[in-house]
Amino acid sequence: MICLFSKAQVKKYNYSEESRVYQQVADITISTNSDGIKKLSDLYSESPLIIAFVYTRCIGICNPFLAELSQNISLSGTDAKQHYKVLVLSFDTSDRVEDMNKLAARFNFENNKHWIFATTQQADILNKSVGFNPIWDGSRMQFDHEALLVGINQYGYVVKKLTGLRNPDDISLLLRELNGVFVASYQLPGNNSLLSCFTYNPATGERKISLGLLLLIAPFVFSLVIVFIMAIIMNRRLKNTAVPHHYAGT
Amino acid sequence: MNNILKLKKITSAWILAILLLFVLAISFGITMRFNQANDIKLSPVTFYSLMTTHGVTMVGIWVVAGMMAVNYLLSRYVKVSNGLNLFAMALTVIGVVMLWLTTFVGHYHTGWTFLYPLPFYTAWEKWATPVFLLSLGVLGIGWFVWSVGMLWQILKRYSLPQAFAWQHFKKGHTVETPPFILITTVTLVGVIACLLTAVLLLILYFAEYFSKGTFTNDALLMKNLTYFFGHTIINEALYLGVATLYELLPEVSGRPKFKMTWYVAVAWNCTLLFVLTAFFHHLYMDFAQPQSFQIIGQVASYFASLPSASVTAFSVIVLIYKNPVKWSLTNLLFVVGVAGWLIGGIGAVIDATISNNFVLHNTLWVPAHFHTYNAMGNVLFSLAFFNWAAKDFQGIASPLRYDKTKIFWLMVGGFGFVLMFYIGGAYSIPRRYAEYPNEFTNAKLLASAGAWFAIIYLWAIIVILFNIVMKCIKMFSVSE
Ligand code: HEM
Repeated sequence: MICLFSKAQVKKYNYSEESRVYQQVADITISTNSDGIKKLSDLYSESPLIIAFVYTRCIGICNPFLAELSQNISLSGTDAKQHYKVLVLSFDTSDRVEDMNKLAARFNFENNKHWIFATTQQADILNKSVGFNPIWDGSRMQFDHEALLVGINQYGYVVKKLTGLRNPDDISLLLRELNGVFVASYQLPGNNSLLSCFTYNPATGERKISLGLLLLIAPFVFSLVIVFIMAIIMNRRLKNTAVPHHYAGT
Repeated sequence: MNNILKLKKITSAWILAILLLFVLAISFGITMRFNQANDIKLSPVTFYSLMTTHGVTMVGIWVVAGMMAVNYLLSRYVKVSNGLNLFAMALTVIGVVMLWLTTFVGHYHTGWTFLYPLPFYTAWEKWATPVFLLSLGVLGIGWFVWSVGMLWQILKRYSLPQAFAWQHFKKGHTVETPPFILITTVTLVGVIACLLTAVLLLILYFAEYFSKGTFTNDALLMKNLTYFFGHTIINEALYLGVATLYELLPEVSGRPKFKMTWYVAVAWNCTLLFVLTAFFHHLYMDFAQPQSFQIIGQVASYFASLPSASVTAFSVIVLIYKNPVKWSLTNLLFVVGVAGWLIGGIGAVIDATISNNFVLHNTLWVPAHFHTYNAMGNVLFSLAFFNWAAKDFQGIASPLRYDKTKIFWLMVGGFGFVLMFYIGGAYSIPRRYAEYPNEFTNAKLLASAGAWFAIIYLWAIIVILFNIVMKCIKMFSVSE
């Protein structure tokens, strides 16, 4: 039930951390609180960029999302912190730069060179290029949206997306990946994937051999069985006679 | 028509089909290299469709070349089935036609390794994925039945321990197993194991394909299975070539036949076990794979190649060193082939060493080493067999004139072509790039030089093939 429910949610809101990854981000125009009007490429060509999608009228996730993000970045490893900028971008076209300035002030980020607060009139184009799909709810006068971080590398490609409030480790991995450090990732087995080679217990860290591994050995065992069966059948005919080294054919 | 004549005719048909596909597949390779050099402009889809066709076709034709050569020579020791031979040929033709349809009409382009989950990310006609998988199934069934058939015939004459030459482990045995029989047995068991793996792999692919999302495969298992199949089959193809070398090289050189010794028996029995686990070296970068498997991968890579290669090289050196050898195109091809196998093998062992793999993984070093032991190793073993067989069909020896010149140009073209890959690998240029970004400053130049060397190789091959093709065509007009 829970699985079906979450599947349906994903379908409705169409959010996925995989969509648009390794695709080029749209080079939109933004109005920043510190440097006036800029192209997005002006920012990401200087250093890798994390875009945090918020809007100032938001009474939901936006504020906890930003609070958590600023805390997690400060908690992440020092080496990863060197090279990045966070662009807090309003996807609500009715937001003004002054509104974003107030938001920056609330988090004490007005003079922090790593943090930029901005608005844009081209939110739709940007949203499409990174696979962000906020839905306007007219009754609540609010956007229905996920808390989304998008990591953009220096060439303008979406490198990683993180949905929801994430822990310092995830943020650290995002920063590292943006800085070109190799970050291992692997498809996680879902409920519908049987036959994995190993099972892993996150609580104990224990790894156990699983059904999939048997499948890996099966062909060799099976071919030996075929050979042995043939040998047994043939053995009855052979009387261990010396084999002459002769030519039977050509 | 008597059985021997039938066998000769079927073998001629195989040789003609293989050579036609070989020349076409080399042309695809040259086209790819010119594209990488930026000398011509292909769309990425065309490049990767060509790469997929080239890879699967090359692997396929040299597997069947080895099988049909071994089948032909087996007829010296045991009765072989022409029916199975024809059955395998029919399924091979159907499989190849299906495969080429998927890549050229359906634009299927996952590369020959079709790594999971790539076949499901359809950037091509929807029908191409199932038809590609089916084409592998058709090829696999034909070769599986044929391999089992050959093994059946061997076991009819030799007991299991004799077929594996186990009596040679101790002194005082009365029965001698010819090296050809041992290597063929060991190799056919390996071929059967990896074809069964392919069957399993296809079942898992189709299970996911038809499950409509209710079943997904485990990526790690699929990668293991894919390389169990892919890595092993291409290695076994090489060993089939080596089996023909053991059988024919002394004979065409006018030297006594190779004798079975304890060390040859040990080396090839080891090869059976180790070649089936060496594929783990393809998964060094998969951190989800336990460390113990990575270590097995490295150790097995050494033991799969070193004993068999060193024993063969030693035997060949003993055969020709300071001995009167009747040189012909056949034994020249065999000897150069052994050199190619050894050079490629050393390249492979370097790459299969975990610490080196961190640098060389997925660079041009990979195509460098496997092209060396294929294009300059196994292919030459098979060409040697073709040349010998064409003569054997009609009992007419080709004159030795120009043979050394042909071999010289073949070596210039072949080793020059792979050298460009090796240098690229040493510069960390990645493999499977349709176009190289400017950051790889030498890549385009190396690709262009590689393509020109490959043209020399192709030219030498065509010159060598001419005689063989003529004799094979004539074979069809021979009646009892
Ligand atoms: C002179 C003849 C040949 C030429 C010009 C040629 C060329 C090429 C090129 C350019 C590639 C792509 C390299 C890359 O990764 O960037 C390639 C891949 C490959 N070649 Fe060849 N090749 C030749 C002979 C052979 C032979 C004899 C074999 C026999 C097995 C072979 C098997 C393969 C395979 C399996 C691949 C990998 C395809 C993939 O990655 O999906 N090639 N070849």
